[in-house]
Amino acid sequence: MEKVCVLGAGSTKYGKLDDSITDIAIQASVGAIESAGIDPKEIQAGYISNVFGVADKQVHLGPVIMSNLGIPEKPSLSIESACGSGSVSFREAFANVAAGFYDAVLVTGVEKVTHTGTEWTTTYFSYCSDFFYEGGAGASFPGLFASMARAYLTEFKATEEDLARVAVKNHDNGLLNPKAHLRKKITIDDVMKSAVVASPLKLYDCCPFSDGASAVILCSEKFAKAHSKNYVDVIGSGRGGSPATLQGRDHMTTIPSTKLAAEAAYKMAGITPKDVDFAEVHDCFTIAEIVDTEDLGFFEKGQGVHATREGRTALNGDIPINPSGGLKSKGHPIGATGVGQVAEVFEQLTGKAGERTVKDAHIGLTHNFGATGASCAVHIFKSV
Amino acid sequence: MAQQAQAAQSTYSKACRDLTDKQEFIDAIKSGKVLARKCAKCGHLHLATIYFCQNCGHKEFENKPLDGNGVVATYTIITVPPAGFEKYTPYAWVVMKIDGYDLRISGFLGGIGSPAQLPVGSKVKITGYDDRGILLEKQ
Repeated sequence: MEKVCVLGAGSTKYGKLDDSITDIAIQASVGAIESAGIDPKEIQAGYISNVFGVADKQVHLGPVIMSNLGIPEKPSLSIESACGSGSVSFREAFANVAAGFYDAVLVTGVEKVTHTGTEWTTTYFSYCSDFFYEGGAGASFPGLFASMARAYLTEFKATEEDLARVAVKNHDNGLLNPKAHLRKKITIDDVMKSAVVASPLKLYDCCPFSDGASAVILCSEKFAKAHSKNYVDVIGSGRGGSPATLQGRDHMTTIPSTKLAAEAAYKMAGITPKDVDFAEVHDCFTIAEIVDTEDLGFFEKGQGVHATREGRTALNGDIPINPSGGLKSKGHPIGATGVGQVAEVFEQLTGKAGERTVKDAHIGLTHNFGATGASCAVHIFKSV
Repeated sequence: MAQQAQAAQSTYSKACRDLTDKQEFIDAIKSGKVLARKCAKCGHLHLATIYFCQNCGHKEFENKPLDGNGVVATYTIITVPPAGFEKYTPYAWVVMKIDGYDLRISGFLGGIGSPAQLPVGSKVKITGYDDRGILLEKQ
């Protein structure tokens, strides 16, 4: 297996964007190419991550992006895996570079949905669930995670304030990220007083619907060394699945695919959770970050809320979680999110994260899933 | 429906024909039952909409209709609904644990506006199926 590296990364701002889905995808891709310092002709394939291209009248995004980069002859494919599309695309790109099929590839994730409004997004996102049992019975995505939250609060005697702390912490981090969607300091009281979306989750427990695009250049170590000193090694890659429905799971307070993906990634990297310096995790809702940090092995089951309360997951804590602001504050353009996490880790490990830099960090982890974690990918990166 | 089933039987195995008939599952729901499928080899129970045993991979099953009674395993109360559910809002979406079995099923439970009305562990039952999916009521 070839050693694989991230050579460059680019992102648009996340938020409500005016430009088209095609335009923002190209902006992020150009950013990644310039960051890598390569000639676009050196890219051998494109992996495009997107869920709702139909919302902005553009599917089959791959050839459109490649054509605009001046490389229409290069192959591309689009990958949909709900909110986990970005990390799943990254994984497929990783596998092909690791296998030696390609020396350098582009991974671009993009989403453009905010112009459709809350009802459209709530409805269409619910199609990512097992519709017969969940979306079709009135369960929105906030509703599904609210059901996990209810189970967690009941089982571990945690409080809604404990969940609110995740939102407060991630907003603090997002304030330091110029590309974040929600750059606003909030308090526990703000979260508790925000409108209930799906009990027990309130508006500020939920990530926003965002537009945005992120892209990275993934390449072999040989290719990286020939081009730059500013690259990051991909040392672990893991994937896993869970029953598509919540009802199909023995426990509602854990996501089986996260454990499987993490176990595989740690094994490939030859490290344990204790070796990870910081992580970008899938905090689509506050409860998700708590569950993720436990499933990833950073804390014992039921201890995630205590770790957050003690500040251990803050930017200056012993295991900073979501220094970018996470999905909660940085935003969640669903096709872009998993790629954007990699872009954040690349920036952190190459000294480009500015004020939100995690001190003395050498190993970063990304964790991104689709739906309620029916699909999941975990990647581990190391500075060179 | 019968014609379709007959046509299917000539093409596919009996197990395949039975399992693709989701209507049978929905009909059972309408009469308050959950049509579970018991693996003919290891006895593992699944909801009807499964094609290979999750435990052993076997593909033959026996029908096992269960009473649609249970308790709330977890739930939410939706106040921002997807399209089509506006007129029912607020309502609960519930994961119900089926009495006597390690099996859960989820569905719509109307008329719930506050958590006090539906503590985890509340007794609920299946009452029907319509454009709101599987319908549950408090017992």
